[in-house]
Amino acid sequence: MLTIDAFPILLAISAAMFTIGAAGVLVRRNPLVVFMCIELMLNAVNLALISFGRFLNSQDGQIFAFMVIVVAAAEVVVGLALITQVFRARHDLDVDELSEMSE
Amino acid sequence: MLLATQNLQFPPTRDLIGLLPELILSGAFVILLMLDLVTPPSRRSLLAAVSLVALAAAMGAVVWGWFDADHARTIYAGSFAYDRFGRFVDGIVIASAALTVAISPDYLNRRGLHFGEYYALILAATVGMMLLAGAASLIVIFLGIELLSISLYILSGFAHTETRSQEAALKYLLLGGFASGILLYGMALIYGATGHTQLTLIKQSLAGSSGTDPLFLVGVGLLFVGFAFKVSAAPFHWWTPDVYQGAPTSVTTFMSVATKVAAFASLIRVFTYTFADSTDKWTGIVAFVAIISMVVGNVAALTQTSLKRMLAYSGIAQAGYILIGVAVSPDPLGTVGSLYYLAAYAATNLGAFAVITVLAGRGEDLDSYDGIRGLAYRRPYTAAAMAFFLFSLGGFPPTAGFFAKFLVFSAAIHAHAVYLALWGIGTSVISIFYYLRVGLLMYTRPKEGEETYPWARTSLAGGGVLAASAAGTLVLGILVFLIYTAAVSAQHGVLPVPQQLA
Repeated sequence: MLTIDAFPILLAISAAMFTIGAAGVLVRRNPLVVFMCIELMLNAVNLALISFGRFLNSQDGQIFAFMVIVVAAAEVVVGLALITQVFRARHDLDVDELSEMSE
Repeated sequence: MLLATQNLQFPPTRDLIGLLPELILSGAFVILLMLDLVTPPSRRSLLAAVSLVALAAAMGAVVWGWFDADHARTIYAGSFAYDRFGRFVDGIVIASAALTVAISPDYLNRRGLHFGEYYALILAATVGMMLLAGAASLIVIFLGIELLSISLYILSGFAHTETRSQEAALKYLLLGGFASGILLYGMALIYGATGHTQLTLIKQSLAGSSGTDPLFLVGVGLLFVGFAFKVSAAPFHWWTPDVYQGAPTSVTTFMSVATKVAAFASLIRVFTYTFADSTDKWTGIVAFVAIISMVVGNVAALTQTSLKRMLAYSGIAQAGYILIGVAVSPDPLGTVGSLYYLAAYAATNLGAFAVITVLAGRGEDLDSYDGIRGLAYRRPYTAAAMAFFLFSLGGFPPTAGFFAKFLVFSAAIHAHAVYLALWGIGTSVISIFYYLRVGLLMYTRPKEGEETYPWARTSLAGGGVLAASAAGTLVLGILVFLIYTAAVSAQHGVLPVPQQLA
């Protein structure tokens, strides 16, 4: 049973997950890991949405979280396909190396 | 029990009619995917024809909706706005999609990329943009953005044998996903602060508060960053030049125009109209991003030697000008100016990219400045059209670009934000240099025996698209009142809660 005290903790966890994810996107170089960090950000959003929904006693948050899950799955399908394609072409995975187009 | 059955019933007809254009295109999307299976590769232009028919039908539904949506209302329990503002933007998006589809078959055939999924994906992205333009709930905004983004990720990587195209798609995907995450977190915080996802209800719950809830303000900030990514405003623009350059040119044509138009429509609906009561909290940031975009876009464009990158940076600068209309909220003249600018930008930029698409030869995309040297001596009409589009981008009368800038700057002056108008005029002067540089290259006579880029022959469809864009640019520049009246009318009915034009 969720008590009112758990709410700030859940929000703090969500914020921490989001920050870790965002930092990972900016720091990590492997597109697969970057992609995982984006998923972490989306899951932080889900946690925040569901906590808010429970706290506010409204269903919108849960519905929103379902939508995020579905869309994230669609994004993964496209993302993994693209990463595979790039790896096949280059046999190398590093976002810093993706610089055929320069300033 | 009675309540339960009422909640579960099928959406009423009037709600379905409100989504008619989207439904037509979604149906066409499925039909195209199946037609692709039975169409022989040599006859894939047929799929383009089917897409054009569907887009024409959707356009008809939008025009009908424009008159029907005289009294704006929300449908689907307040999650979609059926108003003239949405129809106005839908019209621009569908026209851009149709012109893109018209130039695509020739270009894709020359590049060896002619696959049926292309048209289905263009239609899917169009549906996403139209959903985004009409979205009146945070959930639908998110769905619209993702539908258009995921379709465009695939389209950017459509040249599956070229590393550049793959690189562009991956960059777009990673940075687009990052931006979506930020946008979503902003939405979650706004939901937490207001307790609602429907814009109408959010606006209501904000009306009673002072708008200083830190949760809400952080949410608004994150939401704006997410939108700024999608409209490619500086300093969130890094992906734009690489993606525009790497993607097949016909895809760039579409996404540079339609994505920006749809994302701006949603930005205006959310910020100018939903957060109308707390404008003093966020207009400063919008004005700052507008100035940064104008400066970064125009200065970076000066040093480019690639046509697509130059137009990408020019697009970043144009995003800055359009943002002026948002930064002067709640002045309704700002919205009118932004809407007019979006229409003008769509006609002009689509034309400029269409020229590059139509001329692209069999090998590499036409991209470097050298590639258009002497164009005027071989293809005088195409060169004249390109020069006309460049004049419009630079803001010379009597083109669309002139009145677009004029309306946006006058809105800034009307709202006592003269500094924004001054920044805009100052950076416009810079922009003239790089637009003229390209224009002059086209009119430079090639030296004796010098090889020019093997420009493709302009087909009937290609010529028609260039003529249509040029006509649009000219009409928006001369018959100003035609679109101005429409923009004012669109502004009047915008949901949530219309504002009166003084």
